[in-house]
Amino acid sequence: MRAFQRSVLLAAAVLTLAACGTGSDVDEAARGNGENTIALSEFPDRPYWGDTHLHTDNSIDAFGFGVRLGPEAALQFASGQEVTSSTGVKAKLDRPLDFLVISDHSDGLGTTRRLYDAPRIAVLAMGDDTVLRWYDMMHESPEQSQRAIGELIAAAANDDLPPALLSSPEEQAENTRSIWTAHLDMLDRYNKPGRFTALAGFEYTLMPDGNNLHRVVMFRDGKNATGQVLPYPGLNTKVEGLWDYMDSYEQATGGQALAIPHNSNLSNGLMFQLTMPDGGAMTAEYARRRAAREPVVEITQIKGDSETHPFLSPNDEFAEFGVKGWELGNLPLTRRTTNDMLAGNYVREALKRGISLEEKLGVNPYMFGVVGSTDSHTALATADEDNFFGKHTGNEPAVRDRALHGQNLGTNVGRFGWHYLAGGYAAAWARGNTRAEIFDAFKRREVYATTGPRIVLRVFAGYDFTDKDWDGDWVRSGYTRGVPMGGVLADDGRAPTFLISALKDPEGANLDRVQVVKGWVDAKGQLQERVYDVAWSDRKGRRAVDGKLAPVGDTVDRSTATYENSIGAATLKTAWTDPDYTVAQKAFYYVRVLEIPTPRWTLFDAVRFGIKLPPEAMADAVAQERAYSSPIWVKRVGSAADEA
Amino acid sequence: MHRPSWTREPLVHFLFGGALLFAFFAWRGEEADPASRTIAVGRAEQAALAQRFEATMRRPPTDAELDTLVDQYVREEVLYREALRLGLDRDDAVVRRRLAQKMDEIAGARAETAPLDDAVLRKWLAAHPERFASDTAFTFDQLWFENRDEADTALAELRAGADWEKLGQTIDLPRSVEARPARDVASRYGTEFLAALRSGKADGRWSGPIRSGFGWHLVRLEEAAIGAVPSFEDLRADVENDWRSSTISQRREDAYRVLRDGYTVTVAE
Repeated sequence: MRAFQRSVLLAAAVLTLAACGTGSDVDEAARGNGENTIALSEFPDRPYWGDTHLHTDNSIDAFGFGVRLGPEAALQFASGQEVTSSTGVKAKLDRPLDFLVISDHSDGLGTTRRLYDAPRIAVLAMGDDTVLRWYDMMHESPEQSQRAIGELIAAAANDDLPPALLSSPEEQAENTRSIWTAHLDMLDRYNKPGRFTALAGFEYTLMPDGNNLHRVVMFRDGKNATGQVLPYPGLNTKVEGLWDYMDSYEQATGGQALAIPHNSNLSNGLMFQLTMPDGGAMTAEYARRRAAREPVVEITQIKGDSETHPFLSPNDEFAEFGVKGWELGNLPLTRRTTNDMLAGNYVREALKRGISLEEKLGVNPYMFGVVGSTDSHTALATADEDNFFGKHTGNEPAVRDRALHGQNLGTNVGRFGWHYLAGGYAAAWARGNTRAEIFDAFKRREVYATTGPRIVLRVFAGYDFTDKDWDGDWVRSGYTRGVPMGGVLADDGRAPTFLISALKDPEGANLDRVQVVKGWVDAKGQLQERVYDVAWSDRKGRRAVDGKLAPVGDTVDRSTATYENSIGAATLKTAWTDPDYTVAQKAFYYVRVLEIPTPRWTLFDAVRFGIKLPPEAMADAVAQERAYSSPIWVKRVGSAADEA
Repeated sequence: MHRPSWTREPLVHFLFGGALLFAFFAWRGEEADPASRTIAVGRAEQAALAQRFEATMRRPPTDAELDTLVDQYVREEVLYREALRLGLDRDDAVVRRRLAQKMDEIAGARAETAPLDDAVLRKWLAAHPERFASDTAFTFDQLWFENRDEADTALAELRAGADWEKLGQTIDLPRSVEARPARDVASRYGTEFLAALRSGKADGRWSGPIRSGFGWHLVRLEEAAIGAVPSFEDLRADVENDWRSSTISQRREDAYRVLRDGYTVTVAE
């Protein structure tokens, strides 16, 4: 009998080995970067919708939080197939996504799963009491498992991970290699040029003292290139090391990679510093590399919105969206955030800082576009208010009063479940749905963010646009006589005009207004900003009083979590010229589109599950969802570095 | 030729595969009895060790490295046999789970190790056409109006022979759509519009107004090409993904059921 058992084991080993060679039956077209696989339109003709920030059971924290869905389920779900969530609920996106970046943490890729699978005696042999305690907690119950991971994140944030957990570097690399290789094969199998794009990526989890400096790294290429490297570790490294890694990847493979910083709101001022990370004066070389390597920033996601903060933008009445709870401190809430840190935490201020640094250095380190994403740890890329699947499996909808729970990121003083947003999506203006086209849209910053709704937003800047352009082929005009979002308009001494078209989500709420946010550095070197209302619904009935446009109204019924599209507009468009243009002043302009007020996921939960929200959460249960365009910069164009 | 149904039974493949491998290792002289205290590291074993080394390091091992590999192999084998002798494989939750997992893997393994026969996939496609049904492809022109009465007025003008290209209000939606699948139409114009389009007549005449999430549309539906079934060649990769993930879990379940039937299980109240 023993002999038979043994032969079965050997059979398994042999068959498993054989399974490693199955990449060969994937379409040739699906395995590369998608160049020359489909017919492309002349200009980007529609936004492609995606999530660039999704975790599966390969992430050290997601597994501990309870997710048991891997990359295949994530790909199936995002591309429109039905899957069963880790808590047993069937889930299907009623509108599939066009692209997905699975971004599991590079640190300890698969570590928790391996720890979980390990024999207890082996964990005992590690001789580390903490690891053994976590192991036992993970096996005890889902709640205990989530607590263990809360401790693990806090330990990682404090640079205090037990060395035993990280095993030897060689062993780590070997484990990572096998997970990464299997993962890349899976991506190639689900990548369908023209239909669904599966991009390779990982999350770089740099977190000094718990201050969040995370980036998602995204690749343009198939396994033939990405299989030559391993994900770069985040703990105990420097961001310049990540850029070196990306440089060498590109040189060695001929492929391309970019990095997307996220959750600047939890960085305690470190994400968008005026100085080098060590406090010294920023060098032009650092600025150049940052701009080149990080062309896009994630502005909104489940863990809050990073556009701006009421402290920084006191005249912006819509500045507080997604700020509550998150403004209190860094990621694990080990250090409080003080007002002087806020400027380094938010995107609008970073764009201003970028212009001011450019005056000194000749290059703008913070010349980036923006996207939204989920950062979901459930393997399910949901971003709508009525389908919020939770930040992680510990607060999937099966946990009915999840809105009231404290968060399990280490200490949870003052951060509650209801502070989570439902997450955002990334929209990419591309000429077709392939890896190369989607990646290149990111690279040229022709991308934008929404907090979930699929609002279609186009922005062009030029000098001779008028409202008459709407009567003709205005998209062609936009591309041929101007620059699209993410671009640089060469300052020629005239005030720029912006062609802006916003279209509501056909399944969603009407639009309240379109705003242009302008930032610049004045003659005294002070950073300035101004928000203009440039188009709004009910133009006759709503007038600006003291420079403030009357609110659009509110149709949300709090007792049923429903709203009416009886206010707002389906589409808003305008050819808007900057009335305050000043010759030779460097400025950026981005567009913010607001929907009419709609219920947040918390109100849906309250109605569906009969939960009573506390007054503070109830006051926050209705919000105006939004889209943020990438900026357009207006400046004198001279040096090549400007086009970086 | 019709083969008896037991030849298609996964468990039969599973047992047959195991038996074959057993026979193979027996023929190779593999030491199958851990109770034995003889360990022979023959030429074949050494070659296998060297080969594995070469696959990782991209070069053959030196003599010293091969000696080390052999030492490691012997050490592992001694400890493995002693562990079995001491019964350490019993009552260990992880060994239990690992072995159970390996049984699952073997049951699903044939699904994981292609190359797959096209005939199998074609049959799968035929059995589950709904999973691969290609969308209806629509060809149409449309005009958008914010309000219904504006749409009604325009429809009257169209019927009186007005030039359609001069009508309609500006919106960031294509006026003409050529052979786009329903999925694309829904993502662009919304599900309400798609539903109206589906129930419309493809007669090339202006009709409406129909409602969408944006307002009102006049539509001239030229063609609704239903289910031009994509060729198997176009679908092959999709069918294979679907076949794999469905078949692996099905085979595991089937294999388990067959084994489970051989047991009597009592669970105390």
